Amino acid sequence: MGDSNVPDSTGRRDFLIRATAVVGGAGVAATCVPFVASMNPSSDVLAKAETEVDLSDITPGAMRTVAWQGKPVFILRRTPEQIAASAASAGGLDPEPDSRRAQKPEWLVVIGVCTHMGCVPNKEGPGWVCHCHGSQYDDSGRVLRGPAPKNLEVPPYRFAAENKIVIGTT
Amino acid sequence: MKRLLTILALCGIASLLHASEMELEKVTVGTDVQTVGRGAEAVMNDCHSCHSMKYIRYRDLVNFGMDRQKVDGWRGDLSLDAPLLAQMPESDAAQAYGKAPPDLSLMTKAREGGVRYVYSYLLGYYLTPEGMPGNHYFPETKMPDVLGISGVTEGAQRTELQGKARDIVSFLAWSADPHEQERHRLGYYVIAYLLVLTVLLYLVKNQVWSGLK
Amino acid sequence: MPQRIIKWPAGVIKWIDQRFPLTSFVKHELTGYPTPRNLSYWWNFGFLAGFVLVLQVATGIFLAMHYKADIALSFDSIQHIMRDVNYGWLLRYMHSTGASAFFLVIYIHMARTLYYGSYRAPRELLWWTGQGLLLLLMATAFMGYLLPWGQMSFWGATVITNLFRATPFVGDQVVIWLRGDYTVGDATLTRFFALHYLMPFLIIGAVVVHLVALHSVKSSNPSGINLADKDNIPFHPYFTAKDFYGLGVFLIVYSVFVFFMPDSLIEPANNIPANPMQTPNHIVPEWYFLPFYAILRSVPNMVGGVVAMGLSVMVFAFMPYLDRSRIPGGAHFRPMYRVLFYVFLADMAVLGYVGYIPPTETSILAGQIATLIYFTLFLQLPFVSKAEERWLIKRGLPPELEALIASEAHEKTKRGKR
Repeated sequence: MGDSNVPDSTGRRDFLIRATAVVGGAGVAATCVPFVASMNPSSDVLAKAETEVDLSDITPGAMRTVAWQGKPVFILRRTPEQIAASAASAGGLDPEPDSRRAQKPEWLVVIGVCTHMGCVPNKEGPGWVCHCHGSQYDDSGRVLRGPAPKNLEVPPYRFAAENKIVIGTT
Repeated sequence: MKRLLTILALCGIASLLHASEMELEKVTVGTDVQTVGRGAEAVMNDCHSCHSMKYIRYRDLVNFGMDRQKVDGWRGDLSLDAPLLAQMPESDAAQAYGKAPPDLSLMTKAREGGVRYVYSYLLGYYLTPEGMPGNHYFPETKMPDVLGISGVTEGAQRTELQGKARDIVSFLAWSADPHEQERHRLGYYVIAYLLVLTVLLYLVKNQVWSGLK
Repeated sequence: MPQRIIKWPAGVIKWIDQRFPLTSFVKHELTGYPTPRNLSYWWNFGFLAGFVLVLQVATGIFLAMHYKADIALSFDSIQHIMRDVNYGWLLRYMHSTGASAFFLVIYIHMARTLYYGSYRAPRELLWWTGQGLLLLLMATAFMGYLLPWGQMSFWGATVITNLFRATPFVGDQVVIWLRGDYTVGDATLTRFFALHYLMPFLIIGAVVVHLVALHSVKSSNPSGINLADKDNIPFHPYFTAKDFYGLGVFLIVYSVFVFFMPDSLIEPANNIPANPMQTPNHIVPEWYFLPFYAILRSVPNMVGGVVAMGLSVMVFAFMPYLDRSRIPGGAHFRPMYRVLFYVFLADMAVLGYVGYIPPTETSILAGQIATLIYFTLFLQLPFVSKAEERWLIKRGLPPELEALIASEAHEKTKRGKR
């Protein structure tokens, strides 16, 4: 569209327009950042990344469900028999020693979300049963029968005191 | 045109009358952790028993860089995610003062005059000849003279209280607008970028139009 | 290989063109749209208004993802946006500043139309669709202002919905119907949010109508004469380049407000949660409503005040008939009209100031005089514009203007006979 016949000036014009388009495009892209970021979890949601749980009132053999990041976390205080049974087996479909799943043998902490389709399994007999599709887990949260492919996930947690755990940080 | 000038003159007079109220004192707030932290301490000691700051959580204070030990002391058994609610329940406070003391989270934004108003108000207490406390900026206030400025005659003590009032409004300014620093920082970048872009767009425009005819 | 890269989009465009007039539409209405070459920077503001509309819709949609339209939650949800949501403060300040920017741009756009007489035949419909857009914009802004549920939100909505009490016979029922409650309450807030989300899409539709009208009568220009084809140039690249440069300047001003003084456009009282039991000592509308609010306050009678305020907004629609001068071109060629234009601007400024300060005896008197001037300016226009025309013709017009007036008159009689 240049009326000018001097090739030099045409080249300079093209360069100027291209440079402006690049700078402007970068600005448009940068403007998208706050919009996209605003859909990520806000700081008050992120603050819920840690959950403190007092364990003192859980009796041996009993289980407590607490919410961590909106998900159910099963805290099972295992009896010596349950500990022995879990230690004796290596699991089923996804073998893993119990010692790697529990920081202290007495306490099993797992995310109560079935690794198949995300339902919450029920505590039934030894272990858990997921009623959505029939998966079974043992008292270490390891999958014994499918369709679930993997063991119940162990969340990051640490013992802040003898009877207090913090889920969310190690 | 004459009528217009008359009106403009009238408006000028009106605005003069409007401006003749009590002049607010000048103050520059601090934005550093030390000043805001001192302000937080003063607020926790002198204001927090009656006033809530419900949009601020203890975690916000830690995240801003205030001393964790101090914050833990203030919160006691409360969770880090707990908001700074008043120690006195709202209904008790309402009974004591006739009206619940306002929440302070947005105070410096919620009053005409902003930080200058709050600063002037805190230092605006005096004793009437009858020995009753009064306030120059908010005569109907139910709040006692928490800083104790009305009894002060000594210059040095007055300066100290001015410093404390400045700390308090610095903290309140931060809590009303916690992203102000970030906003200013980003603003400089954005405007610098826009200046460059606008110059480029101007050159493009000139070059495009120079091709005409 | 390079050939295929070039051919690929061309092939797709060809496929589309056989089914939908894409290329010809872009060529006729966008890139090739014939635009008068003498447009000044005052003609940038239509494009800017379109840009601000997009900005408001974009920020608004993202804010709506975090906002809660419930009187127990809305104030808190704004604080949640301002404090916790990533860049929530930026989105909210962009949106609140954008509302002011929208009015600023629209008012300049209208002032340009008034100054250059762009509302005159054949652009009456273009002007009227613009008037409709102004009303939609005002309604959207008013409803949006309730959403933060601060003291100003609440009392502003209370006062404005009460205006409908002036409705003959069923005034009180209409007010209750609008609010869905006896006072502004939860039902009001929820419906205002629904409508505030809806209206921008109506505005987009009205903008399309506005643009169709524009493209059938073409842009006016500072000379006021319809230019010969040789004086029209394609919109692209000339006016795209010019509009983008204007956009850059606009964005700098806008960013200064967003990043450094966003609260200058938010009344302090709106940082106090709404309290139906206590009215703030000094309630003021947003700056863009101040002149009209001053007119409302200036009339001592309630119904009269509402009617005067409604008229003060709607009176612009009568401009094509109030201005009877056939002298083409804007105020530039018409000394009397030019003086009236500046008196009008000054009067608006006075009304705005009167609307801002608390009512005192002097300010009420000033407001009443300014209101009188406001309406007088419009009512005297048919006579002054005609007198001005006679005077200008007597003084002698440039021959090309005379020829133009004659040809216009000729066409009018031709149309009349038909």
